[in-house]
Order: sequence, then structure tokens, then C-alpha cells
Amino acid sequence: MNIKKENSLVFWLFLAPVLVAFFVVIVVPFFMGVFYSFTNWSSSAKADGGLRLIGLQNYIASFKDPAFAHSFGVTIAYTILNMIVINFAAFSLALLVTSKIRLRKVYRVGFFVPNLIGGLILGYVWQFLFNNAIPFLGNTIPMFAALARPENLMLGKANSAVIALVIVGTWQYAGYIMMIYIAAIENVPVELHEAAMIDGATPLQRLRSITLPMAAQAFTVTMFLTLVQSFKQFDVNVSLTSGGPSTMFLDTPVLGTELLALNIYNTAFLSNKLSEGQARAVVFFLVLAVIALVQVAVNKKKELEL
Amino acid sequence: MKKSLLVLMVVMMAATLFVTGCAKAPAGPTALTLAQNKPEIDSALKAYAALWGSANNVDVTVKSVGGTSGGLGPQLKADFAAGDMPDIFAIDGLEAYKEWENLILEVSGEPWVSKTSVAFKYNGKVYGFPVAVEGWGMAYNADMLAKAGIDPASLVNYDGYKAAFGKLDGMKKELGIDSVVSMAAAIEMGWVTAHHNFNSLLANGLPYGDLSVVNDLLAGKVDAKRLAEYADWVELLFKYADKAILTTGNYDSQVGAFATGKAVFLHQGNWTDPNIKGANATFKMAFAPHGSMKQATDGIFVAAPSFYVINKDSKNIAAAKKFLTDLATTPEGAKYMVQDAGMIPAYSGISLQPDGQLSKSVQAWSAAGKVYSWSQYYFTGDFRDKILTPIYNQFATGKINKAKFIDLMTKAFIENKK
Repeated sequence: MNIKKENSLVFWLFLAPVLVAFFVVIVVPFFMGVFYSFTNWSSSAKADGGLRLIGLQNYIASFKDPAFAHSFGVTIAYTILNMIVINFAAFSLALLVTSKIRLRKVYRVGFFVPNLIGGLILGYVWQFLFNNAIPFLGNTIPMFAALARPENLMLGKANSAVIALVIVGTWQYAGYIMMIYIAAIENVPVELHEAAMIDGATPLQRLRSITLPMAAQAFTVTMFLTLVQSFKQFDVNVSLTSGGPSTMFLDTPVLGTELLALNIYNTAFLSNKLSEGQARAVVFFLVLAVIALVQVAVNKKKELEL
Repeated sequence: MKKSLLVLMVVMMAATLFVTGCAKAPAGPTALTLAQNKPEIDSALKAYAALWGSANNVDVTVKSVGGTSGGLGPQLKADFAAGDMPDIFAIDGLEAYKEWENLILEVSGEPWVSKTSVAFKYNGKVYGFPVAVEGWGMAYNADMLAKAGIDPASLVNYDGYKAAFGKLDGMKKELGIDSVVSMAAAIEMGWVTAHHNFNSLLANGLPYGDLSVVNDLLAGKVDAKRLAEYADWVELLFKYADKAILTTGNYDSQVGAFATGKAVFLHQGNWTDPNIKGANATFKMAFAPHGSMKQATDGIFVAAPSFYVINKDSKNIAAAKKFLTDLATTPEGAKYMVQDAGMIPAYSGISLQPDGQLSKSVQAWSAAGKVYSWSQYYFTGDFRDKILTPIYNQFATGKINKAKFIDLMTKAFIENKK
């Protein structure tokens, strides 16, 4: 056996465990899931049991459900807001902790820590803040009295509850995205900044013409991460709002902040329609895949090569 | 560096696979698995199961899954898909029964059947072992009612409640309360509105087990008068509730307001006993009937909240049967149910009494025979959680008025029939 053959054998052997795991827990379930979305699968022991192919029924029922359409709308709105706010916050924080400010290492850790808290717990903590701490503030400090009025509670109305989700999402995720920006900003060659400073460029000009273009690669990554993270948001959604409060959509009352992932879960497990939930998950996958590919393609065009 | 990392990962991978492969439980005595949906009794049940297991040489595993977002249901589906169904599992009613119909063993011949009136039956055959008896009505703070000069016996219909609520509302300062009723209608509290409160429309004032209203509504036939009276009741509850708790509160804030004396009434059941005790409430309390009708309805809603069923395909049916029988018929079983788990036993021949005040009230109402059914389980979870819950929530937040509420409810029933 020559070296080359041996090397490739070793390569595949070492890769095998990962490949097997990937195949067994990702690839196979994915295609099984697509198959189940065309059946009446329920994973239970109903009297009329037996798996039957029922064509596109699950997909048709999904698209007829106003709650599903509404979830799409809310998810897209939430994703756009979340991408803007997270990236803006994360980039600002990254600029802050890469400047010459004192204690910047401590800040880095501090901003990153919320990302280490589980989303479920985070949701309950913020639910307490929105429902109890903020009204308490309003009751104790006369200046903020408006905060204590029940009609001003963030989680009391569908629109402001979406904003609440964005706030919590940003609090949780901005620190993580900040880390990526820090790496990008620190990789910008110092000589570019020095040369620009000799030419008399202001800090703002240097940010716009040097830092931002040089960090474009990071933007491709962070945009992708925030897009996917926001689109798939589930745990904070469950614990913070459970999809509530309700709102009217197409003259039907629906859950106002039920993001797609929660809608899929509720369809599958609360409504006991596993295969219909599966169909929605397939639609979800297709839409997210297309949006993410478009986003990466657009961002890639803006990247610079040195 | 990279190579060593790779090697490390491969070793870890292999180790994980190896460990999971070996993790099968060692085959000792008979193994029995019970999956149930009340996390609050988990430790008591595990202690009892261990005791019973050592006496009968059975290794009992208790799995408790509860809480929001489905609870036990999704776990059972995952177990079923994995071919690992428990030997005994809990169902909450008709819909869950239908979901597992092919897997549930008929237990009509068991010795405990004659000792209970609330076993789960379908087509005249017994399938489910009632875990306990629970009840809800309007829990009231008896001390405050006495102070306000309101006789709890007058709280049997809409007019009685309207007068009492109005009077109490005018005495807020004197009584030190924030609101009259502690009611929750947020989406995560849909089980209070679209399950429990909804049941007033279905069962209040009807003989126990009467399904006439349920069947009419399932057929899309809406009794406009009954629905209008019910809407008045919902409006009354929402009107005198604390707005913050009503629209955004969770279970803790709802029960907390009552337990700390910030509300006179609580729209909940006797399972709140431990929570109220935990808040060090010392006042006297009991249940009054719901006032969802003009006519007097002198009774509260009492039934078994969940049932243990035996898996037909289990290898240990005999042990499972014995476990349930012993639970209902032995002194140890009674001690566990009543004293350790704090539940109201569903079986005759048990003289122990739970110490919670609201549980005692439920026992008093059922002893007097003044009880109405739980009929909400005849409607699917889909219908209650995804159609009705948002309607109640809209009404609670004031986005729709009573006329629109009635209109949306009517439409929902007609749509549900299709």
C-alpha cells in the first residue's frame, strides 16, 4: 500500500464516526420527515391506525390555516427587526470593547455572558422583568407612573410583545455576534488606519472606509447567523410569550407572537397533528434555505480580498 | 495539534457510542415503567413506587412529565416512535384515549372498579384508573366575604355574583384588595379560560354526565340563550379582575393575588392548596359554584383529571394491574394518595382526608352530591387551545366586545363541525 492510499484510508476511517453520526441523526431523519409529511402519521395507536399516503393534504391544510400565514408574517417581521437590532448592537459593542476604554476585557466577558444562559430560563426571567419589575418601577417612582398601567405592559399587546421578543433576543445574542466582530475589527491591518490618520481622516471616515469594508466577511457570517437564529427562535418564544397575546387576522383570532417554530410545535403536539406539523417544517426549511442562500450570495458580493 | 484534536474527537465519539450501547438497564426483577403528568406528586409517587417495588420484587420507574407546551403527550409520542412505551401511562380524557385506543387494555374486571364512580369508560367498558378527584369553582376568601356581609350561599347564579362583585368592588380600600377576582386569560393560561371556564358553558346546571349541550355544540348547534348568559358571566369575571394579571399574569401571579389577600375570589381548583399554603395564607376559604347562568346552579365541577391506563403490549401486565389495585385498595396506597401526594382519593373505603382547605371543600360538595361534570375534553385540544384561547384573550384585553365574543364563539362551533 502506498502512502497516498494509506493516507486516504486513514482520512476516511477517522471521518467515519462523524459521517455515520451525521447520516443517522441528520440525513435519514430529514428524508423520513419529508416522507411523513405526505402521510397521516401520528406516532400513536389510533383505532384507524396504519400509515397511509394522503398526498398534499397536510400542505393544503397548512396553507388554509390563518394562524400559519400569520406566523409567517410575524416571523419575517421579527427576523428583520432582530437582524438589524442585534447586528447594530453587536457592532457597537465590538467597537466599544476594541477601543482603548478601560476594563474592556471585563466588558467583553460581561456582554457575552447572557449567551450562556438557556433561552427558556432567559424567557422566564424577562417575563418577570416585563410583568413585575417594570410595573414595580412605575409604582415606586412617580415619574414613571405610566409604566405601571396594565395597558402599557410590553407583553400585553401583540405588537409590543414582538418588540419584547426582539429585546430579549438581542440581549441574549448580541454578545456572541460581538465576538465575531471583535475578531474582524482586530484583523484590520493597523497600517491602514495609520496611513489614513496621516492623511487626516476622521474616526468616522476611517470606520466607513476602512473598518466596515474590511469586516465585510464577518458581516456575511453574522448576518447568516442572526437570520437563522431569529427564524428558528423557539425557546424564548415559548417561555416569554407562549405565542400570546392574541390578535385578529383575517377576521379570526390567532396567537399574535407565535413564531413559525412554535407554530410547528403546537400543530404537532398541542393539536396532535404530527404529519401536518411535519409538512409545515418542510415548508419552513425550504423558505429558510432560500432566504439564507440569497443573503449569503448578496453579502459575498460585498466582501473584499486584500 | 489538529491531528491530536481529531484523534480526541474520534475517541470521544467512539466512547459515546459505546456507553449508549451499553446503557441498557440490567435485567433484575420485573421492570415496570409508569409515565404520568403531575410533576407535583413526582417525589411522593417515586417513594411509594420504591416501597411497593421492594415488597413485590418489581423495579418501578416513574417518569413525570408536565407543564406547559404539551406535557406528557409529546413524550409518549417520542417513546412510541422509539418502541419504548411505558407499561402504565396517564391520559386526561377522551381525546388522549382516542390517540392511544389500540394500545389501551380494558380493565373492567379489576377489583378497584367497583370502588370508584369516576373511572374512564368508553362504550360501557372501563379503561382508565382515576388518579384522584379534583374540583374547581370560585374559590373565595371567607373572612373577606364575612367582613363585607355577603353570604356565600347567595353565590349560585349570575345575579348573585353581580351584586357581590359590585359590593366588594366598592370596598376595595376597606378590604385592602387590588381587585375582586383573580382571573388569568393570557395565552399560557388558556387552560383556565378555554378549558375550565369553557366547561361552565358545557356542563353547568346539567345532571352529571349529561352531554346534551356538548353534543349540540359539536354538531354546530348553538343555544344562543345559554351562550349569551355565559358571555355575561365571562364579561363579569373579566370586568372585576386585575387587568395586569388578567392579560399578562401566569399561574403564580394569579394564585398569589388570592393567597396574599389581594383578591377575594380565585378562578382555580383545589390543586392550588399547596401553593396557597406555601404563601402562608391563614384565612378561611372554600368553593362557591360558578354563576354562568340566570338560573341557580348549586354545585361545582368535580371529576378525575387524569387516568392511568395499562399498555396492552406490555410484558408485565400482571404487575401493572397489581400496582394499580394496590394503590386503590391498600392502606399504604391510601396514605400515599391522601397524605403524601395531598390528593382527594377517587375510591371508597378510604377514611383519610387531605388537609388542604380547598380539597376539603371539594370533598364536601361531592359528599353532598352537588357536582357537575368536566365536559371540556369532548372538544379537541386543537379547538380549545388554538381557536378558543385567542377568543377569550381578545375579550380579556378589550379588543372585542361581548357581541363580537358571542359571534366568534358561535362561528368557532359552526366551523368546528366541518
